[in-house]
Amino acid sequence: MTDRRTSIVRLVVFSVATLAARVPAQSPQALFEPPLLITSAGQSAEAVIAANLAKRAELPATLVKLATDKDLRDRRTLVLVIGASMKGLGAAGVDTAKETGRVRDLLAEAKRTATPVLAMHLGGAERRGELTDELISEFLPAAKAVLVVKAGNKDGLFTKICAAHAIPLFEVEKSLDAVELLKSIFKK
Amino acid sequence: MRPAGLASVLALILLAAVACRPQPPVRLAQPPADRHAPFNYVGTKAMVVAAHPLAAEAGRDMLKRGGNAVDAAVTTAFTLNAVEPFASGIGGGGFMVLYLAKTKKVTVVNFREQAPAAATPTMFREKGDAMDEWRTARGTAVGVPGMLAGWAYALRKYGTKTLAETAARAIEIAERGFPVSSTFSAINKDEYEKLLRNAGEATCYLNQGIPYEPGDVLRNPDLARTLKSIAAGDIDAFYKGDIARKIVAAVHDKGGVMSLADLENFRPLEVEPVLGIYKGLTIYAAPPPAAGGLHILQLLNIAEPWPLKAWGHNSAPYIHHLSEALRFLFADKDRYDADPGFTPMTLGSLLSAEYAARVRNGIRPDRIAGSYPFSRLDRLQDREGNTTHVGVIDPDGNIVALTQSINDFFGTGIVPEGTGFLLNDHMADFSTDPASLNAPNPGRRPVSNMGPLIVLKDGRPVLTLGSPGGTRIFPTLSQIILNLVEFGMSLDEAIEAPRFFTSSANGRPGVLAVEPRISESVLKALEQMGHTISLKEPYDKYFGGAQGVMILRDKHVIHGGADSRRDGVGAGY
Repeated sequence: MTDRRTSIVRLVVFSVATLAARVPAQSPQALFEPPLLITSAGQSAEAVIAANLAKRAELPATLVKLATDKDLRDRRTLVLVIGASMKGLGAAGVDTAKETGRVRDLLAEAKRTATPVLAMHLGGAERRGELTDELISEFLPAAKAVLVVKAGNKDGLFTKICAAHAIPLFEVEKSLDAVELLKSIFKK
Repeated sequence: MRPAGLASVLALILLAAVACRPQPPVRLAQPPADRHAPFNYVGTKAMVVAAHPLAAEAGRDMLKRGGNAVDAAVTTAFTLNAVEPFASGIGGGGFMVLYLAKTKKVTVVNFREQAPAAATPTMFREKGDAMDEWRTARGTAVGVPGMLAGWAYALRKYGTKTLAETAARAIEIAERGFPVSSTFSAINKDEYEKLLRNAGEATCYLNQGIPYEPGDVLRNPDLARTLKSIAAGDIDAFYKGDIARKIVAAVHDKGGVMSLADLENFRPLEVEPVLGIYKGLTIYAAPPPAAGGLHILQLLNIAEPWPLKAWGHNSAPYIHHLSEALRFLFADKDRYDADPGFTPMTLGSLLSAEYAARVRNGIRPDRIAGSYPFSRLDRLQDREGNTTHVGVIDPDGNIVALTQSINDFFGTGIVPEGTGFLLNDHMADFSTDPASLNAPNPGRRPVSNMGPLIVLKDGRPVLTLGSPGGTRIFPTLSQIILNLVEFGMSLDEAIEAPRFFTSSANGRPGVLAVEPRISESVLKALEQMGHTISLKEPYDKYFGGAQGVMILRDKHVIHGGADSRRDGVGAGY
């Protein structure tokens, strides 16, 4: 190989390696295993949507809106659906501090038991508010992968956090589109 | 009371005053890009305001085709069933306040739902811990729907069009579909579990079993078929025929007690409005069991001697005094509010100068009273406001203020098989205390917070208003009236201005909920007076979604104001 060709090859290899390091892999690959524990961070209704999507993807899953560490037993993946709802918090009888504390403890247990976390935001743009953004900033870094409805990432918040922590980010146009994605990122 | 979707159609016709002079063509400005920026829709002949553009346009088009305010109001109301189904529809009920230009008379049509004949005062209390579910999401939550009967009555007596003509646009939209808004999508998500449980995954109120995203198209062919059968068979098709059987079956399937006779026997009522005077304005409102108007008049009576203008809009003393007044009013709500068809109400006493003075005397200028006797507000009744309001003025000067609802967003979530409409959960507006004047009883209408109103000055209409928002309705409408009268705001400025709300229960003060656009220094001062502040969103639909129409006679124009907290718009010409 000539020196010039070698330089070009080295340049291509270097570029690919650099890009691969900067941008987390976007193409789906099996990252998680069932069964799933699905819970909410913020008590918005999207946790119920996530449970429905998991059902359509034929993934064994349990929805526990106020999950604690004991609910993680025998679960191979924790799905954290982030979205704050004052109505949901009120219906659950918890305030913001209690909810945040619960999720912190749950994530600590997930870390202790090496249970990977799939974080989701399915609420789109209208579900982004101050409290939801606080939950996103605090809890997203604990995720092994993140799945969002694109409209909820218009300002690039998810992109920014995922890039900073080298977390794969999957964007879908609509919640329903997540079914195929879930099938591909979960091992059969 | 659970919040109801208020569809207020306000059509104000100022044409008579304008017709004598040549007028330049009305150029309708486009609403600003920032939907929260105050914007008054302008017309010279007529105006419709409603919580959805397709509904407001449908009402306006009916006026242009020669229909009057009642025709337009019912057209708008039908259309709201198709495009804002979570807030009102033929499965619910409401109140209509009418100003009849020819006779200069104000009248009210009460088509509030009734409790079934098998209702009992203990029907919810005996459910124990499951009480809330039986009040809101089971068959026992469904009051006998009054919507169609009310619309048909108003059309027969005061309109010029048929039920079929007013339903036509709704049928078309239900068949062809329409793109849902962000508001719809957010509410759809909030109520997802209820819809899954009661309407089922295949319901048209979900998009392939998942909540709608903004822009998704909602088609409701079942509703179109239902409306066509009503168009062909008039209201008997609903109250006596196949639809009635399906309603009863759906209610029974979910543990309810409604019978075919309940539906067949439902009748709307035409009643006198309640009225009061505030600084030269005569305010006509729907009377109890619609309690909103009564409480607006009470609050304005209490506030009238205060130096509101000198205090300043949304200043600490302004908010403090009105909040304390609200807490005392709520103390009496549960004690006195009732269905006057069954329980005599002491309206004269509640609206008297003595009552207002007694409340004022109980208010300290520098801190909260802390104790509000007679307060027994049921905390379970403090829910979101899911109602809709419609306002219409026609070219002859007839006015309709229409507030209607299925109570919680998406009501019970129960859809009678194949009919496409949602059944209300207005039975939840009854008290769970069997001894209450507002306990469920056969045929009784639950107390409502709705407050559609029409305002006259020197005997001529100048304003009509209404809002959804449950217990927040009357405080919201009172604040709008004060914004207009005391602070000279334009209609939509008055509607978009920051709001606050509080109540009391069991003698104790509730938190003071505010939109955070109220200044921090004011909030700090209020906290020092003893108020506990709860911050909401900057434009929070918790405080309602008011619609209004204002006649500016000196300028020969009509303004329509529509709340950006929901999807309100005006359509005038």
